[in-house]
Parts: sequence; structure tokens; C-alpha cells
Amino acid sequence: MTQSNFEARLAQARESSTRLRDAIATVIVGQNAVVDQVLWALIAGGHVLLEGAPGLGKTLLVRTLASSLELKFSRIQFTPDLMPSDVTGTNVLVMDATGGATGRFELHRGPIFGQVILADEINRATPKTQSSLLEAMQEHAVTIAGVRHVLDQPFFVLATENPIEMEGTYPLPEAQLDRFLLKVMVPNPSEDEMTAILARTTGHAVEAPKSVLHRDDVLALRALCRDIAVAEPVLRYAARLIAASAPDSSTAPELVRRGLRYGAGVRGGQSLVLASKSLALLEGRAQVAFTDIQRVALPVLRHRMIRSFEGEADGVTTDQVIEELCRVVPTRSGAVEQVLQGSR
Amino acid sequence: MPPESTELGRFHRLFQRWARQIRLRLAARSLLTGLALGFALAGVAAAALWWQRLGSLRPAAAALGAVGVLIALIVATRRRLSDSDVALYLDARLESKEAISTALELGSSEDAGAVVLGDAVSALDQGDPKRARPRVLQTLHALAPVGVAAVVYLSLIPLPPGPAVPPAAPGSSRVQLANLQGLEKIERLENLDARDAEQRERLKQIAEEAKRLREELAKGMEKREAQAKIAKLRDDVAAERLKLGDQKNRAGLEAAVGKLAENKSTRDAAKALGDGDLVEFDKKMQELANKAEKADRDAAKQALDEAQKAAREKGAKELAQALEEQKKLFEKREAKAEALRELARGMKGKLSEEALKDLEEFGQSGSPEAQKRLAESLEKALQGMTEEERKRLAERLQKQLEQQPGGANPMTKEQIDDMAKRLGTPEGQKALEEQLKDLAKPDASKEGEREKGLGDAERGGAEAERGLGGMAPVPIEGGGPSDGSPKGPGDKGGKGDPGSKADGSGGPGSKKDFGTGDHKGNTAKLDTKGLRSKANGKMNAGAPMQGSTMGRAPSRPGETANQAGTGALGQAGPSELGGVEGSEVPEEYREQVGRYFQP
Repeated sequence: MTQSNFEARLAQARESSTRLRDAIATVIVGQNAVVDQVLWALIAGGHVLLEGAPGLGKTLLVRTLASSLELKFSRIQFTPDLMPSDVTGTNVLVMDATGGATGRFELHRGPIFGQVILADEINRATPKTQSSLLEAMQEHAVTIAGVRHVLDQPFFVLATENPIEMEGTYPLPEAQLDRFLLKVMVPNPSEDEMTAILARTTGHAVEAPKSVLHRDDVLALRALCRDIAVAEPVLRYAARLIAASAPDSSTAPELVRRGLRYGAGVRGGQSLVLASKSLALLEGRAQVAFTDIQRVALPVLRHRMIRSFEGEADGVTTDQVIEELCRVVPTRSGAVEQVLQGSR
Repeated sequence: MPPESTELGRFHRLFQRWARQIRLRLAARSLLTGLALGFALAGVAAAALWWQRLGSLRPAAAALGAVGVLIALIVATRRRLSDSDVALYLDARLESKEAISTALELGSSEDAGAVVLGDAVSALDQGDPKRARPRVLQTLHALAPVGVAAVVYLSLIPLPPGPAVPPAAPGSSRVQLANLQGLEKIERLENLDARDAEQRERLKQIAEEAKRLREELAKGMEKREAQAKIAKLRDDVAAERLKLGDQKNRAGLEAAVGKLAENKSTRDAAKALGDGDLVEFDKKMQELANKAEKADRDAAKQALDEAQKAAREKGAKELAQALEEQKKLFEKREAKAEALRELARGMKGKLSEEALKDLEEFGQSGSPEAQKRLAESLEKALQGMTEEERKRLAERLQKQLEQQPGGANPMTKEQIDDMAKRLGTPEGQKALEEQLKDLAKPDASKEGEREKGLGDAERGGAEAERGLGGMAPVPIEGGGPSDGSPKGPGDKGGKGDPGSKADGSGGPGSKKDFGTGDHKGNTAKLDTKGLRSKANGKMNAGAPMQGSTMGRAPSRPGETANQAGTGALGQAGPSELGGVEGSEVPEEYREQVGRYFQP
């Protein structure tokens, strides 16, 4: 591969991402940060947990994305009575024309066999049902009646959570939360955005966007993301951030010691680098910068930390902890920081 | 190093150029920082040296600047930035999003490497060196000229005055005196006629101590130490004085004084004895022994004998011994005076008017001064006699002896007989002159001489204390307060106010002076060898200001004020002893108060 080829791929990736953003923007008003973060996860090959109040366009965003990508879309509405087989599918007995049993079973595929999966209100299903997603999310495969079924690529799960109406919900277990590359907080729209939303949604129905990226395009983006270079100092910085998030670490700041019970793990570090690569790619760069790590830190790490009792009592949020980590943990070595300080 | 033509080669060339500049500037910055800190430290060191008044070392403090540079050089070498650190620095300064760091690490081997390399080259090529390179000068570097200025300034200004020396402890100052006046009087104690062998030994030791102190003072010693030694010497001298009023002798003294006071002629002597003044007592007895009237002399002898017996009866052994000695001396003096009078009578026709007056005064007052003058007049008259006259004098003396068988002291008779026989020859005349000189000398009692010597020594101690700046009270010659008793020739004696006239009308300034006189002042000429004070003289030179008392009086444990002392303080006369009984202390407390004052 020559320089021009890599540059061309980079340029194509930028062009693809721009098209995708534009397509989404025809339906979704504002929420640029949310859209960007969803794209980071899509390109990095991770899954996204969207958290926000009802009516903020979470489901619409996912549907729009699926439409734009020309990928098979499935929606699973999680309810307390939803069974794992409702997600994965099951073998059913095949009947003949007379209505008699043929003695043959046929796989009836569940919604998990899509490519863009919307797991709506995932915290309303029982942990057993929630865990049915685990294998699919991690290994991109489903085992039904002892038979392993590999899922089509790209496989992209977007789950939504409603932070209000917590009664009768089942908070996601830590193991499952860790499977999500990002946890994206969907904010309330601004006044301008709200005005545009009202104008757009109270008239004639808006057409779904046409697909702008195909399966192969997405896979190419994902491959290119893996080729993005990361210098050792940047990797070290990511490692320092993860290490400092452990309350028993010597480098942990006071807020971490007080507010957290568990910090981020290895998967958090991997996600940090992957998401940074994705961000660099979307910005047309071939290498990851320190700032990329800092920018992706919040969505990547916020669901991987468990607050301590004291932290919860004091109202310490994981976002505050991450911001403190980014502020305290030095990006470069001490000697370089000293020289930089003396030169400002 | 990759070839220049390739992108990687270009990157390395550009990077090394940047790196060289950055490292050079950082090294310069380190050196300046070291220099600044060194000179700042030098300034502080110079200030410390100035404060400590180590003036000559102040410029040397500047060497700390060079030390600072040296340390900075070592630090700069050890902390030289690596290529990776330089790349990170450049990424931050050129805002190249870590392209340079990544390019340095990856080269062009990776897929993304080539793109990153291009970005890095672009960043390095387009980067503004003025904006990106590290600053050499920092605010901290301003310390260098400040430090240099401080060193120069502190090296030029005069050193601060030394800390005030704290005042030395009283008496801790050293004193060096080649000859301290007064000590010689204590040294003379070794020649004093001691009461016994033990006292002789003690007096010798005191004298040696005084000599040793003189030597130490000549070398130099602490003033307070010298003062302490003198005080000890004075204590030792005082301890040697006869304590007639102590517990052992008090009853005997009172009895002896009582007996002497019964006789009119010995009342003055009784007063002197009561005051413990043996020298004065001896003088009074000498006067009595010189008197012409035999009745007076016999009465005095009788009183002395009774006093001696009374003292012995009361157990005052030392006092009885002193009175016994006085009695023997009295007889000797009496014989001497008689011989003098006999000789004068023999030479009556040849005596001058003045000599006759002396003879009369000698007979009346018996004063040693009159005795001396009479002897001198006789000697003069003897020298003016012809050989014939001297023979006639010898015959007359022989005749007088025959007319007064047993009237005079046998010793005197023999002496005069011998003298009459030899008077005819020049040798005899010479011998007579010698004898007259001997007769002119009054005989002092041993006890009196001893007391006089000890008194002298004590005054010498006080004088020595004054010589060291102390304000020791000088004991008055003769001991004890003035009592109006006659102290010299012409002194009529008798009690009364000082300055009172002989007729009792009182002189100017006396209690009997009612302001009717002329107030011109008519103070009698002082009979003294030298001035004791002078007008405008410095009072107590070297002594503390008034308001503090430096005086001291000899005392020993157990001594109280009702014990006759020898110093100026703490003295109590015999009449004051047992004063509690005669006081107005209520009966119920009298015993308790008396016990308190009991020695």
C-alpha cells in the first residue's frame, strides 16, 4: 500500500462519514455530538448504549442510521416478559400442509440476526434476557440449541435506556455494560433545535433517508480504523488514565479514591484507544493525538466505573471523576511538561 | 540515517535541526538558572558573612555563582531531552496532533506511517522556530544580576557593629595589682608577739595567705575571688582578737570593769576595758603608772589587783591573765617613771624652763608623750653639763639615795647607783644618755601590742577591700565608737559632745551651741599623721552608687548583736549586754526575747 492509497482511503473515509452525517441530519435535528459518538462506535466496531429521556430521538436516530447504511435493521422492545428466545430465535417444529408434524425442526431467527439492532429500553427486560445479548455483542455469534450461528457483519447494537421511570427496571449488570464501547448521553435539545424539531415533525411525514453507505463501506471504514497509528506516548497516556482510575492506585487523585469503588479495566483501555482511532479517522488523521484520548474518555469510561457508597452519597458522578482524571494525569513525561511550562 | 532524498530522510534532517536548537536553548536556560540560583545563594551567603562580620570572606561568596553553573551543567547533561521527548515537545508547540512523535516511532514502515510522516514533515517545515523554541530567559534569571549586585554591595559596605557585650557578673572582672595597699599590715602578723605557739602558727598562716594573695593579685585574678580572700583574711584576723565580751569572759569582764570603776583614777581605764579596747586600756594604765603621786599609783594597782581577782573568780581566765600581765607591767612602768623623776630632781638646777614644765606635766598626767619629752630634755641638759657638774650630779644622786632608803624600787636604786659611779667617765655619760633614751620609750603590754597589731591588720584588710573597689567600713583606730575619751596629748577627756569646750559650755556646732557665738569656726588641729579625707575628693571611687550596701562586718555562725564584735556593725558594748532584762519588753515575752538574743 502506498502513501497515496492510504491517503485516498482516508479521504474516502472522510467523505463517507460526511455523507452519513448529512443523511442523518435530514431526519435528526441537532444532536451532533450524539451522532458523532454513534459514528465513532460504528467505525470502531463497538456498540452504543444511549441514555436519555423519552422523546429525544434515540430510536429515530437508530432507525435513521440503519436506513442510511442499507443494513438489516431489527428492533427489540425490551419488556419484563421478554424471553431470551424472543431475542435470539428458536427452533420450531415444521408442519406439513395438512397441519401434521413433519418431525423436522426449523430455526426461527430472532431479531438479533439483524445488522443494526435497536435494543429499546434494554433495562426493562430481566437480566436473563439482557444476557442473551452478551454472546452476540462480544462474539458476533448466537448459539441456539447447541448450534452456533455467526451473525452478519457489520453487527451493531444500539441500546437505549431511560434514566427516569426506574421502577420495575433491571439495571444492566457490569459485565454487560462493559460490552458497550460507548455510553452516550442524549441531551435535551436547545431552543433552536427544538424549534427545528417542532417544525419538521408537525408537518408531513419525513421520508427516511436513502442509504448512503453499504455494508462493504462500513467494513472498509472499520478496517481503516484499525490501521490508524498510535504513538507509544499516547498509549502510555491511555494506560496512565486507566491506572489512575483505580481507587487503590498510587496515582489516583483524591476524587477517585473517595468517589469510586472500582475503576475502568483493560477493556476500558482498549475501548479508549479504539474510539480515539475512530475519532482520528473521522477527522482525517492517520495518528491518534492526546486530545483524542481526552475527547473520547467520557463516553468510553463513564459506564465502566462503579461509584463507592461515599461517592454516591456525595453525589459524585463518573463524569466528574473522568474530567478530574483528564485534568490531573499528565499527558507527557515530567521533563517535557517542565520544558513546556517554561516556554509558555 | 536514511537518504536525504526520501521523506523519512527529510523528516530526520528537519527533526534533528529542531532538536539541536531546542537542546541548546534548554542547556543555555539551565546554565542561566544555575547561574542565577548560584548568585542568589552567593548574595545570601555574602549577607550571612556580613552579618557574622567575616568581612574578608564576602567576595568569596561569588564563587557560589560558578558552583551554580557547574551544577547546572551536570544537571543539563543528565537531563538532556531524548528524541521522543523533543518530538512530544514539538508536537505540543507546533500543534501537530502527535504527528511528529508518531512519525519518529513508526518511520514509513506502516501504512499510516507514510501519511503521518508527511504530516510531521509539513509541521516541522512550516513551524515557526521563534514561536516554538523554548525560551532561554526566564523571570528567575533576574536573580543573577541581583545576586551579583548584592555580593558587590555587601562586600563594600562596612561590617555591622558587633553585638553588645553583656555586662559581666558583679565582681567577675579580673583585677591585676602589683601592690595592694593594706595587705602589708596583715603580712606583718607573722612578727607579732603571739599569745601562744598555736596562735603564732595561725598568725603565720594568715600572713602567708596575705603574701600569696599579693602574688596572685600581681599575676591577675578575678576581683570577686580576691574580695572573698580578703574577707576571709579579715575574718581570720578578727577571730584572733581577744574576745573579752564573749560568753566565757563576759561575767569576768563585767566584774573587772566594776572593780576598776569603783576607783576614780581607774574609771577611764574601766571604760576602755569595758569597750574591749585593750590598747586604750593599756594607755590609761601607762598614764596611771607615770603619775607622780604614789597614792594614785597605789590606788590604781589596788584596783587592778582586785579587778584581776574578780575576773579570775568569774572564770574569765584570759582576761585575768591579761590583767595579771598589766599588773606586772604597771610596776615596771612605775619604776621607770620614778627613775626618770629622780634623775630630773638630781639635775634640777640645770633643767630648762621647758623641761621643768614637762616634768610637771609628766607628774600630773603621766602621758607617754610627756615622758618622752622629759627624757629628751634630760638628755639635752646632760650634754650641756661640765665634768665638774656631772660629778656633783653623781654625788647628789648618791646623797638622795642615802636619804631615801627603800623609798624607791631596788632596781631603780641600783641603776642610779651604778649610773652615779660611772657618771664621772665619758663612757658613763654615754651610758646614761642611752638609758635616758630607753626611759623615753613607754612600755606597752603584750596584749595591747597584740591587739594593736591585729587591729592594724584588720584595718589593712579593710583598706585592701577598698583598694579593690569594695566599700568596706574601715574600723576606727582604737576600736569601738567614739566615746569622748582623750585620744592624745592635750585632750582633756571626759564625756560630752564632740567639740564641747573644756568648761562644758560647748563649742560651735555642739549640742550646747545656742547660736550665740561668732560662728567663725574654730576646729582644733587634728593630731594625725596624715589626712584621712580631703575636700572635692572622690568618694568611694570604683564603689557602687549609694543605694546599695557593700559594707560587711566580720561575723561567725551563731554570733548575734548582743555579742561584742570587732567590726563596725554588730558591736554591742558591755552595758548593752543583757539589755533585754532592763528593757520595756513585757514580762511574759521577756524570756522568749532573751532566749532569741542569747549567743
